[in-house]
Parts: sequence; C-alpha cells; structure tokens
Amino acid sequence: MISKTINLTLKVWRQGRKEPIGRLETYQAKDISTDMSFLEMLDVVNEDLTKAGKEPIAFDHDCREGICGMCGAVINGRAHGQEKKTTLCQLHMRHFKDGDTIVVEPWRARAFPLVKDLVVDRSALDKIIMAGGYISANAGGAPDANAIPISKEVAENAFNAAACIGCGACVAACPNASAMLFVSAKVSHLALLPQGRPEAARRARAMVQAMDACGFGNCSNETECEAECPKGISIVEIARLNREFFKSEFS
Amino acid sequence: MNWFFELLRASIGKKLLMALTGLAFCLFLLIHLIGNLTLYGGKDLFLSYVDHLHALDPIIRVAEIGLLFFAVIHVFTGLLLFWQNLQARPVRYQVNKNAGGRTLGSATMPYTGIFILGFVVVHLLNFHFIDHSQQSVFQAMDTTFSLLPYVIFYTFAVIVVAVHVSHGFWSLFQTLGANHIKYMPAIKGLGVVLSLLVAAGFGFIPVYVSFLM
Amino acid sequence: MSAEVKLDAKIPDGPLAEKWDRHRFNLKLVNPANKKKFNIIVVGTGLAGASAAATLAELGYNVQNFCIQDSPRRAHSIAAQGGINAAKNYANDGDSVWRLFYDTVKGGDFRAREGNVYRLAQLSCNIIDHCVAQGIPFARDYGGLLDNRSFGGAQVSRTFYAKGQTGQQLLLGAYSSLMRQVAAGMVTLYPRREMLDLVVVDGKARGIVVRNLITGEMETYSAHAVVLATGGYGNVFNLSTNAMASNVTAAFRAYKKGAFFANPCFTQIHPTCIPVHGTYQSKLTLMSESLRNDGRVWVPKKPGDKRKPADIPESERDYYLETKYPSFGNLVPRDVASRNAKEQCDLGKGVGETGLAVYLDFADAINRYGQDVIAGKYGNLFEMYEKITGENPYQTPMMIYPAVHYAMGGLWVDYNLMSTVDGLFVLGEANFSDHGANRLGASALMQGLADGYFVIPYTIGGYLAGTRFPEVNPSDNAEFKAATTAAQAKIDKLLSINGKRTVAEFHRELGLILWEYCGMSRNEEGLAKAKTLIQKLRAEFWEDVRVPGASQDLNQSLENAGRVADFLEFGELMVDDAIARKESCGCHFNTAYQTEENEARRDDDNFCHVAAWEYAGDDDSPRFHKEPLVFENVELSQRSYK
Ligand SMILES: Cc1cc2nc3c(=O)[nH]c(=O)nc-3n(C[C@H](O)[C@H](O)[C@H](O)COP(=O)(O)OP(=O)(O)OC[C@H]3O[C@@H](n4cnc5c(N)ncnc54)[C@H](O)[C@@H]3O)c2cc1C
Ligand code: SF4
Ligand code: FES
Repeated sequence: MISKTINLTLKVWRQGRKEPIGRLETYQAKDISTDMSFLEMLDVVNEDLTKAGKEPIAFDHDCREGICGMCGAVINGRAHGQEKKTTLCQLHMRHFKDGDTIVVEPWRARAFPLVKDLVVDRSALDKIIMAGGYISANAGGAPDANAIPISKEVAENAFNAAACIGCGACVAACPNASAMLFVSAKVSHLALLPQGRPEAARRARAMVQAMDACGFGNCSNETECEAECPKGISIVEIARLNREFFKSEFS
Repeated sequence: MNWFFELLRASIGKKLLMALTGLAFCLFLLIHLIGNLTLYGGKDLFLSYVDHLHALDPIIRVAEIGLLFFAVIHVFTGLLLFWQNLQARPVRYQVNKNAGGRTLGSATMPYTGIFILGFVVVHLLNFHFIDHSQQSVFQAMDTTFSLLPYVIFYTFAVIVVAVHVSHGFWSLFQTLGANHIKYMPAIKGLGVVLSLLVAAGFGFIPVYVSFLM
Repeated sequence: MSAEVKLDAKIPDGPLAEKWDRHRFNLKLVNPANKKKFNIIVVGTGLAGASAAATLAELGYNVQNFCIQDSPRRAHSIAAQGGINAAKNYANDGDSVWRLFYDTVKGGDFRAREGNVYRLAQLSCNIIDHCVAQGIPFARDYGGLLDNRSFGGAQVSRTFYAKGQTGQQLLLGAYSSLMRQVAAGMVTLYPRREMLDLVVVDGKARGIVVRNLITGEMETYSAHAVVLATGGYGNVFNLSTNAMASNVTAAFRAYKKGAFFANPCFTQIHPTCIPVHGTYQSKLTLMSESLRNDGRVWVPKKPGDKRKPADIPESERDYYLETKYPSFGNLVPRDVASRNAKEQCDLGKGVGETGLAVYLDFADAINRYGQDVIAGKYGNLFEMYEKITGENPYQTPMMIYPAVHYAMGGLWVDYNLMSTVDGLFVLGEANFSDHGANRLGASALMQGLADGYFVIPYTIGGYLAGTRFPEVNPSDNAEFKAATTAAQAKIDKLLSINGKRTVAEFHRELGLILWEYCGMSRNEEGLAKAKTLIQKLRAEFWEDVRVPGASQDLNQSLENAGRVADFLEFGELMVDDAIARKESCGCHFNTAYQTEENEARRDDDNFCHVAAWEYAGDDDSPRFHKEPLVFENVELSQRSYK
C-alpha cells in the first residue's frame, strides 16, 4: 500500500430539499490519499465544509463494501464511476490523477425523485418487488431443504441473477432510465428455481406492470445497464424476463 | 382482447411490436435486396425480375398493405417509446458518457428511424408512385440517379438504414427473448453481416447506375 | 424498580431437548380472529427484524416496520459473507443438534444459557428449510443437493452458504417475504426513520418516537408490543466491519427506559481484516476467515524492520502463531489470533506504512498447490483485496489486522426474548442471547433468523394473549409527549452548541480509547483510565461539537451526532462491565487472569453469570444485577490450543 496524495477539483450537484432545481458547486479536495475510497474523499470534503461553517454534501451510503446498494452517484458521466463492476464506495482514489476535475451528479430518473444533493428516492424499486418479487411461502410449512434437488448450474445461474444489490445504477446509466435490468434480475432469480415456478407467470406480469407504473423508461437494448452494473448482471436476464412476460401474456 | 391491450400498454408489449414489425422489415429488406441484385446482372435481368414481380401482383398488394400496416405500427410505437423515454428523465446529466454498451446504431435509433421514414417516402415517390405505363422502373432509376444529389442522398440513406439495422437486428432477438450466451454472438454477427450487405448491396446501386452502366 | 430485582430467565422446566416443545404448548395462543387487532412495532429490517415482521404479518398481526436505510433490503445483515450454520448433518460427519448446541456453548466460553442455545440449535434446521422454500440460491453440489463447508474451525461441515454473499441472499429472502406482506397490507413500512426513544406506559412498552430522516419531523407510533431488532453496537469503536449506520441508539434509549443491558463488554474482534490505511478511514473490511486455512501469518523478527517482505529471508521471519501454538498454528480461534497480532504490533514488529498489520502469506501454498488451485479457492477474496489495497496478493503477502466485528452483548432478554420492560422484545444482534463471551462463525445469521422466523411468533402471542391493554393514544398521552419533547430537546441542544470539533473527530477519539483499553486485552489500570478519558471526552463533546445544518431537514451530521452522543455514554458502560468482570472469558481477556499458556482463565465460581446493567439516572452509576448461569448438561472445560 504505497499511498500518495493528490489534489482534485470537485463539481458537486447541490440541491436543497425544497429547491426546485440545483446547481453544480465547486470544491477543492486537498491532500487526498490515493488509498481512500471515493466516499472517504467526500467525507474529507464534508469535514472541511463543516469546519468552514457550510453544509456538508448529503449522500447515501451504509456498508461501504459494495453490497448494500445504498451508495451511488454519477461520476464524470459514469454511474458509480469509470471502473467496471465497482460501486462508488469501492471506487478508490488511485484511479484518479492529481489535478483531475470530477463532476458528481445524483442518479437521474423521473422514478427516482431527488431528495437532497446526491440523495434520491429509490422506493420505486421496493414497489416493484412488492408487486411480485417473492415466493409465497409462509414460515413453517417448508419441506426438507434437500427435498427438491436443483442442479448446480441452475442454482448458480439463479445466484448470479440474485446478486443484484438494488443500487439503481442500471436506471441511472440507461439512456431511457429503464429499470429492466433490475426487474429481470429478480424475475430470473425466482423463475430459474423450481420453488419459484408456480408463480412465475403472475410475477413477471405484475412486476413489469409495477415498473411501468413507477415511471421508468422503456428498454431499447442499449446495454448501458449491463456495462455499469456493479454486480455484472447480464442482459441475458432481460431476455429471460421478456420470455417470461410473453409466456404469461399468451397463456 | 383484453390481454391484447394490456400487452400493448406494457413497455415490453410495445417492444414486442417493434421487434415483430422490425423482423418483417428485415425480411423485406433482404428480399428487396436479392431482387435488386439482379441489377448487377444487367438491365434485362433486372427488368425480367420486375416483370415477374408484377405477375405476382395480388400477393404483392397484400404484402404492400401488410408492410404499410407494419410501418404505421413501427413508426407510431417507436415515436411513442421515444417520447416516453424522454419523459423518463426530466432532468438530464451535465456530463454524459458512454459506458461501452451503446453503439452508433443504438444511440441513434429514433433519429435514423425518422430519417428512414422520410427516405422511404421519397423513395416511393421516385419509384413506386410513378406512372409505370410512361416509364419503366429502370428508366426512373436512370433519370433519378443521373442527378448527383440523388446519388448522394440515396447512398447516405442506405448507410443510415444499415446503421438502424445494425442495432435493430440483434435487438429484436433480444426483445423476443432469444438471447443465449452461446447463440447471441452469432446473432450479433448476423446483424453486422446484414447491415453490411444492406449498405453495400443497396448503396452501390446509385453509383453503379449513374457511373458504371 | 427495587434494588433487588430478580432476573428471571423463564427457562422452561424439563429435559433440555423438550423445553421448547413444552414451552410452545404452555404459551397462550391469540385467537386468530383477534390477531389483526394487535399492533406490533418492529424496529429494524435486518435478518432478525425482517423475518420477524414478515412472520408476524403472516400470522395476521398488524405490523409497523422501521429502518434507517432507504429500503429494508439494505440493513447491515446484507454484508455477512461466510455462511449460516445448521445441524442438518447432510455431510454425515457426526453433526447433530446436540453437537451444534455444545460447540456454541463451549465456543462462547460457557457464558450463555443452555436452554436458549439448545433451542437455537434445534431451530437451525427449520431455517434452512424455510430459506430454500423462499428461493435462496444456496451453493449446491453436482447432484443438486445442498453443499456444506466447515467454517471457523468447526470439526464438522455444517455451514450453508451462497458464495461469499450468504447474508445478502438470506436478507433478500426475508425482505421478499416482508414485501409480500407490505403488498398484502399487513405490514406498513417506515424506511428512513430513526428510533430515538421507547415509550413505556404503565410499565409496558407501548410505542416509539422516531425521527423522519428526510423531513426531520418527530413522529410517534403506538402498539401493543415493541420488537427491537436494531443490530449490534460495534461502531462504538468507530472503526469496525459494521455498516456506517449501525448504532446503539435504539437499544441504549430502551436501556434508559428500563431495559437492562447485558454483558456490554463482550465484543468480538475478527483477526482477518484489511488494515487501517489512514486517519480518514471510515470502516474496515472483513476478509473471510477461510484465508487462514492456507495463508501463513508472520512478522519480521526484528522490530522496526522496514524491508519489503520479499527481502526478508526466511530465517528473519517470525511465524508466531505456528511457534506458539504448534498444534493449531494459523487456525487458532478468532480471539487468540487477534490478540497475538496486536501483541506483535505493540512490540514494534507490525508491518506496512502504519505498522499496524501482519503478513498473511500465500507463497508456500502457491508453491505447493499452484496458483490455479489457490485462485479457485480464494479468487474473489484476492480480487477484493486488490481492489481495496491496489496490491496483488499472489505476488506479495497480504496484510491483515484485527477489527471489531460483532457484539455479543446486548439488551438482556428472557427465554421469550422479552427484556426487563414488559412488551419490549429484542432480537438478533441487539440482544445478548446465545453466544456467550464469543460467537462462532456463521452463528449470528442463524440466531437472527431463528429469533425472527421461529421464536418471536410464538412468544409474542403468549404475551399478547395474557395481557390487558388500556387504550393509548399518542397524540394526548403524557408519556408520548414527554418522550417526543425530550428527543427534540436533545437534537436542538446538539445543533445549538456550534463548537469547533466535528462529530467524526469525537467518534475517532472514542474509538481509539476503547480499542486501546477495552479491546482485545484489558487490564484494571487501563480500564480505569478509559473511564476517565471517556467522561472527559463526553463533556467536551457537549461543549465543543459542531453539528451543521437544520433540524427539519435531511441532516446526516445530526444523525451521526445523536449516535455518537449515545456511544459516548454507552462506551462507559462497556468499561464498567469490563471492570466488574474480574476474570477472562472468550473475547474478554483481562491480562491479570490468564493461564500459563496465555489463555483466558475463567473464574466459574464467581463469574459464571450474565451481567445485566440497570440505568439509574445520568448522575448515578448503573446498577449491577446478575443472572447466574446453570449448566446441567455440559461440563465446564478450559480451552487449550497448544
Ligand atoms: C462483515 C461482516 C460479516 C459477517 N459475516 C457473518 C457470517 O458469515 N455468518 C454469520 O452468522 N454472521 C456474520 N456476521 C454477523 C451478522 O451479519 C450480524 O450479526 C447480523 O446480520 C445482525 O442482524 P440483525 O438483524 O440483528 O441486525 P442488522 O442487520 O444490523 O439490522 C439492524 C436493523 O435495525 C435498523 N436500525 C438500527 N438502529 C435503528 C434505529 N435507531 N432506528 C430505526 N432502525 C434502526 C437498521 O436500519 C437495520 O434495518 C457478519 C458481520 C459482519 C459485519
Ligand atoms: S441490476 Fe445491477 S445496476 Fe441494476 S440495481 Fe441491480 S446491481 Fe444495481
Ligand atoms: S455503501 Fe453499500 S454498496 Fe456502497
């Protein structure tokens, strides 16, 4: 860990909770260790702002290890920054150069109304899950866990889809602000498993309807979502969602 | 019928319409291209192809009406999607960058689509809605392509069609749910081949007619 | 409350294996038609909270569920990596409910209740069944059956896992069940809310005061019972592997309302974490314990040796775990490994820029098995390490250091998971429950889910069916009003100080004090010093902290300030508890009480008890109570890893 320090110019979207529109404000981030994560860099800027009697930048975060899906911002036009398969909290400053200017914007989508600064409201994703992103199994009634064998391959495919952290980067990166990658990940995860089959048709239809009702855009297969997804969810899942949806409509 | 309207209301339903009509246009393009290739065999071969086509008139009529119907759906749905997608992001980013998924084709679909619509109208005016008793298609072509601006316009338009197809072709398979790690590369390859064929096959015709024939 | 409170754990009579069945039979049932008349507040949406909220709603209760994050799916449980234990014995290697029970009691250094732990081991099997039915994609073998691995030094393979993301998958399962109930109208969800107080009316928990983290508004909610599943307090150390929002606030404010706090000094420190890199570090990242299966831990023999690891010849390296513990070597338990790493660094033999790290070297393993084999086993861990540190562990040894990881201590609960406040139930890491003085790997997920899916649904019914509830209306109830006013007053105070130091600075300082004096090894002198230091720091905090922004707004500095204010009080309670426990056991290692092998020396005659602390007002020391632990089924033995 040979660290060095760099100086950066930040242009961060600031918008109060009740302000109809915000603006980019410029801050200097000085002596930033290249071992820091992007969020730790923002912590430093916030400490400086606090000491200067200004209001710190609001941003969402929690686990800081790339699994809770709480963090996220668009860094120089890229959701979660330029590194592949990386959440913002896992983006380290060694990927930036001394003197860089970094523009930091919140996720932008009608379905994700802005709350404050970089914080947006992603409850639309919860609404989609509510519509059908589950298997209806009450606690207590399950058969033995090994009663239904599931091939290793199927289990792994289901796992890969289930790895979605619900961060919303796919929506943010999609030129149409579509949530198809997110929806497809959940539909695929459950549709692949025998336990999820009984409700598969209803689930696909209900989740797509909920997605449309939340005001997301339509998928046009731009594949930007796949390119930005920190968990490497593939658009193969979207194709599966489409199949499941047609199956449900035509049956 | 209820399910049908429900299907159309859903985003994926609209996509299905785009995909199916798009598929029809891809097939049409291919047939049109094969027909037009007779041109490279000389005027006589081409005219005999045109005659054969006319012999199939009733079928052609049906096909034309079908294509028109598809075109209306494709254009209307496409515009609706375009409009909805603009609405889905009311405040846009200050900095836009491509993550590597977008291609020239995918990024320009609505625009190339609208351009193609205009082109098709011009094209039909030039070659279809003409008095076929006065001039043969070949003559019409000869006159049209004797004007340099037309040559340039047609060549450009065909390239635009190719760009549209470069995204449209694989995309329609994706929408229909035909994406599999094993086959998708082949489908994508086929899309590239088709768009190159379209670009080369059609694109060379104006040049060929005006300069080489 | 009288000074002589008898802590009644309400452990059912009868043979160990029958206690839970008998108890379930004896518990009163709520008439199904009446269930919807009962409101239950569940605070927390981690494994414990989400599973409890979903299951209670499935039974027909009206549930109100709260969490700090924007979605219940983001609770800290999401970060658990390794796996979840269950006594399924699918591996046919001699596991049983009894063995899981025994391992857990022994692993906890005999400071947990037999009855609770046995029930936990029994329920472990139901958890796996239910999780599979929910669609959790556990790892499977080629025959399509579930795969198990051995974890945390266990002699049997009883750990179920989903790659390195077991907590995520389990939580998403509980979350999906929860969302199903939200859609059904049985659960009302309140995300982005922070519980700031418990409301006790006529001796019963009847509601909570929360701050709406978006608007800053105080909100009150009433119910017939309150369930806290608010997780652990590891962040009292500032740096830990816990998520940033993990806090003690909910539990601590309940403590101030009469819930006893049990064993607060029991905190687990995990040996294999990525070391601290600088002052502004915000959290520590855990690397799976499995790395110690193939990695060799070493430091240079000479203190202050700053050469590159490759330049230090074999003869000048100290493989201290292998020399000190010849039979267990690098696989000694978490607390032993952690303590020894700190000891080496304190001797000046630590490596890396900060000197606070030891090497975990895979060179031998790579030579022996080849890089492919090692990559197959640990590929994603190595990748993660490289992403964070920018160093390639295939070429240069990893650096690791211990980090605070888990809180065994928590609010005291009886066998029904009810605290000393009637109607206040505590689940998951927030209670002190089943892990004694040290938690075994892959047992926290098991406990959280057992509490939520299979214990609380029964025991809360017993409480509700047997209790009379007068009408309580938050808008005109004096207790609710008082609690709201007090919570708002505290916030206003924090905002008005306008001093010079930031919240983060105080938190860092508190963390350092506890890490130094109430961390891996403790002694009387250090603890006494810590107590004064914390008191001093707390006083400074209330005079000199600067909290920017407004109260009626999304204000993350204010949220942190509230949490740190509670940590500053709670930290002292931890120290008090550590001082009072004049023995060493599990994670609590007091240097005055050790064997010749430098092992923790328990004092079963005087300290075989749960220490439970009762709040006695801001100006008085907390009152100490003890619940003696009775072992009828296992024999107390001394650990040895030589
Ligand atoms: C990195 C890491 C790896 C781990 N790996 C494993 C493992 O492999 N196996 C294992 O068994 N255990 C593991 N553990 C431990 C285990 O993850 C936790 O003990 C367990 O998940 C705790 O679950 P919980 O439901 O009790 O609390 P949490 O998951 O912490 O949830 C707390 C909930 O309470 C809410 N909350 C907290 N305070 C308030 C408040 N004041 N107001 C309102 N809401 C509040 C939060 O929003 C959250 O929803 C690991 C822990 C860590 C840190
Ligand atoms: S699909 Fe990927 S980008 Fe979209 S929410 Fe899930 S993890 Fe985030
Ligand atoms: S903070 Fe949890 S994913 Fe970034």
